[in-house]
Amino acid sequence: MIEVTQETRAGWLVVGVKGRADAETAEQLEAALRSAVDQHSKVAADLGALDYISSAGLRAVLQSARAAQTKDVEFAVCGMSAPVKKVFGMSGMQHLLTIHGELPC
Amino acid sequence: MVLNGNLRELARLTAEIEQFCGLHGLAEDVEFDLVLVLEELFVNSVRHGGCEGVEDAAEVRLTMLADGIALEYADRGTPFDPTKTPVPDATAPVEERLAGGLGIHLMRQIMRDFEYHRLDGWNRIRMRRPIPVEGT
Repeated sequence: MIEVTQETRAGWLVVGVKGRADAETAEQLEAALRSAVDQHSKVAADLGALDYISSAGLRAVLQSARAAQTKDVEFAVCGMSAPVKKVFGMSGMQHLLTIHGELPC
Repeated sequence: MVLNGNLRELARLTAEIEQFCGLHGLAEDVEFDLVLVLEELFVNSVRHGGCEGVEDAAEVRLTMLADGIALEYADRGTPFDPTKTPVPDATAPVEERLAGGLGIHLMRQIMRDFEYHRLDGWNRIRMRRPIPVEGT
């Protein structure tokens, strides 16, 4: 299960992600993030309520970050819990992301 | 436990791992890692191993060890040894690295002591999630 919300905060379009980003929900997550990238020049994925992420979820976020890059959209990830952050770290691809500890989440 | 070749089985697999971890008082990070590794293995079997739609396509067994948890996973898919796939090249283009192998890459960082056998039409994998032993 995954729940995705959208709101504008301090000049960012913040996509709030809640639940689990796994093989079953990755498609929904990527669609939501890509749609945000199409709408705004600054997009932040707030992963504060994300309990779990696997390679499928990771791929959804990283692909969206790539899409943002090609469109000159600023793309940030914030609010990650320690276990989620660890998975990003293990991927060796966190350089694709601007990782914010607090703002704009 | 036995899994059918359908991604909807992930919820049941996760619940089973949670139950195992609860029973043995394992920390949340251990549970997270076991769920992650088993999802990666099972999704690979279903999406790339030809297990999609196969009944009793995979088997999972978790066992407590003195120094961690033994994870045994078997599937009826095409022969595939995830312990031997090439390590992703850190200099390869991002697209290439995102395309595949990310799950196996994560698995190899989390787990230790990999063993793989192909036997009677089954891929059989055994590995260990280490847990630091107190006092060492």
